[in-house]
Amino acid sequence: MTESTLFAAAMGLFALSALIYFVFLFNRRESTARTAFVPVIAGLVVHTGALVLRTVESGHAPFTNMYESLSFLSWATALAFVLVNLRFSIPRIGPFLMLIVIALMALASSPLMPKETTPLVPALQSYWLWLHVSVTLLGEAFFAVAFVASLMYLSAKDPAKKDKLDAVGYRAVAVGFPLFTLGGLVFGMVWAQKAWGRYWSWDPKEVWSLITWLVFALYLHTRIVMGWKGKRSAWIAILGFLAALFTYFGVNYLLSGLHSYA
Amino acid sequence: MKAFIRFFSSVKLAIALLIILTAASILGTLIPQGRSAAEYAARYGGLAGILVRFQFTDLYHSLWFIALLGFFGLNTAVCTLTRLSPKLRRARRPQVAADPKSLAARNPKDRFRRSEGLPAVRTEAEEALRAAGYRVRSEKAETRVSILGRKRIAGIFGPDVVHLGLLVLLAGGIVSGLGGFKTQIVLREGETAPVPKAAFEIRLDKFTTEYYPDGSVKDWTSAVTVLEDNAPLRTADIEVNHPLSHGGFNFYQMSYGFDWETASVEVLARKSGDPGFLKALELKPGERAPLGDAEGTEIFLRRFLPDFVLGEGNRPETRSFQPNNPAVLIEGIREGRKVFEGWVFANFPDFARMHGTEADDLAFELKGFRAGQYSVLEAARDPGVPLIWAGCLLVMVGLGLAFYWPTCEIRAVLEEAPSKTEVVLGGQAAKGRDRFEKEFAAVAAALRRSS
Repeated sequence: MTESTLFAAAMGLFALSALIYFVFLFNRRESTARTAFVPVIAGLVVHTGALVLRTVESGHAPFTNMYESLSFLSWATALAFVLVNLRFSIPRIGPFLMLIVIALMALASSPLMPKETTPLVPALQSYWLWLHVSVTLLGEAFFAVAFVASLMYLSAKDPAKKDKLDAVGYRAVAVGFPLFTLGGLVFGMVWAQKAWGRYWSWDPKEVWSLITWLVFALYLHTRIVMGWKGKRSAWIAILGFLAALFTYFGVNYLLSGLHSYA
Repeated sequence: MKAFIRFFSSVKLAIALLIILTAASILGTLIPQGRSAAEYAARYGGLAGILVRFQFTDLYHSLWFIALLGFFGLNTAVCTLTRLSPKLRRARRPQVAADPKSLAARNPKDRFRRSEGLPAVRTEAEEALRAAGYRVRSEKAETRVSILGRKRIAGIFGPDVVHLGLLVLLAGGIVSGLGGFKTQIVLREGETAPVPKAAFEIRLDKFTTEYYPDGSVKDWTSAVTVLEDNAPLRTADIEVNHPLSHGGFNFYQMSYGFDWETASVEVLARKSGDPGFLKALELKPGERAPLGDAEGTEIFLRRFLPDFVLGEGNRPETRSFQPNNPAVLIEGIREGRKVFEGWVFANFPDFARMHGTEADDLAFELKGFRAGQYSVLEAARDPGVPLIWAGCLLVMVGLGLAFYWPTCEIRAVLEEAPSKTEVVLGGQAAKGRDRFEKEFAAVAAALRRSS
């Protein structure tokens, strides 16, 4: 079993679950939703195997280039969906979240992404690599759940469904925001202080993490203090996820800075 | 003063500031920061002057951005303080007396009747709440007993703790900006340099570069000794990600390089007409040595370039300080007169050609070179850092309290009636309603069951 076989198998399982989830969108049967959840769990297990194998093969944390971090982000997104679905039983967000997972994995396997394992450059040789990247990406995965719930909120008609999507969106932010703050900002600052001697350098990646944080701070303040539930809240959560996505992708390709690794 | 507080305590101001800060931060990532005036002129043309004047080119350190952060801090402080005193009152001296009607409007709620008298039901209700982990307060007024049970009251202060953390972070930033001090120390092996603004020196004992099997760099390590009045205090290895802390300073491995000034070069000289002639010379730039031939030639090593390239006007220069294309400029001198000269390349031995009146049949080869390495350490003292970690800790504790320490409240009103007691229960939880509703139902069931 190689890492790429496991990766492909996981992707196949997620694609299968996406298909069944789309059937569920039309037939609305509980049993279909339950069936769709099985390959998600199986895919998550297989994908976990792929990440472990990658770590063993390369001898370092599996997020030192774009391929590895995309693979980890897709795994985290699947995990976030599993946790949210177990807690709130909301299979309705399944088809679209699985599409995001598959899109991330497809991007990871595109020929543009270098896949070979490379030795770790001196700046990345730290256990903070584990803490900083894994917690940040896990936070971003919950933002992805909030994003899907918010998009579905905007398109849903039934008030009961809308209420639930709004609540799930908020709960996903309530998990994602502390994780992102801890992993992205706090652990990032601790590591920067250790490696570069300055906890904050106004590097584009740092600034965009701050922007993402400010957008979700805006989400919480407008929602809790000003009572903006529903439509406006959903739009801010969507903007927040897009900011997180830009922090993750856009900064690497469009802006230059200290975070040149991934 | 009142108008000032009213202005700065407004949530609308907070939201406006969040949006402005976000927009300004985005702008700062779109305009490259801290470049040269010429680069801005080339990029933005006539706009460049305006960008520089309003400090858009060093946006995050500009007066207006710092003022914006100051406003944000002030707004956070005033907002938090004005909301703090009612919260403190609610936590420490809550109103216990309640009206059954207002409880009946709560969700979850319950209402039932007990055949026991008021004192017995009161004890039972208090115990049921305590058993569920609630802190209980109760008051009796005429025929009515009001009971207030609460748990995790610290949760209501979560946002305040986050805000306090942000203020501490801002304060840390100010302290870093005003009291922080950074300097680079360049050291050759064996060299000692004083640490500016400190009472100790630092000596580089050894600098090593470790490589992976594939040739990429694995690690840079500076082995150093800290000295005070020339007496060694301690030795340490400074690596990337492993700074040395000493006397309030942190020392980071920043960079390294080859010390080309004192490089020594090995040159081989041959004569095509005399196969037996072979002479090895070891020279430093600027040194000369006799070749030992019949003509009494002296070889002068005029220049050494680690990364030879022809620059502007075809002038030889070095592209970098890495030995990518080492080259030496050699001159031949006879009777105090330069008779030939030419560049010799380590990577292109056939390329060497001597020009001059008496180049004869001499051929030179750049055999090798030795250059000591120097290490660049950054010495930094940043008194703001402890505040930054304290701020981070407060923010995380505050987020934990706000999201995962939900305050729960169950109130009960017991009303004495002839040979019975009327019970009204009402509950309220900031978050985690499902779990709270179960807890509420359990308390209510316990209180009903005993009848």
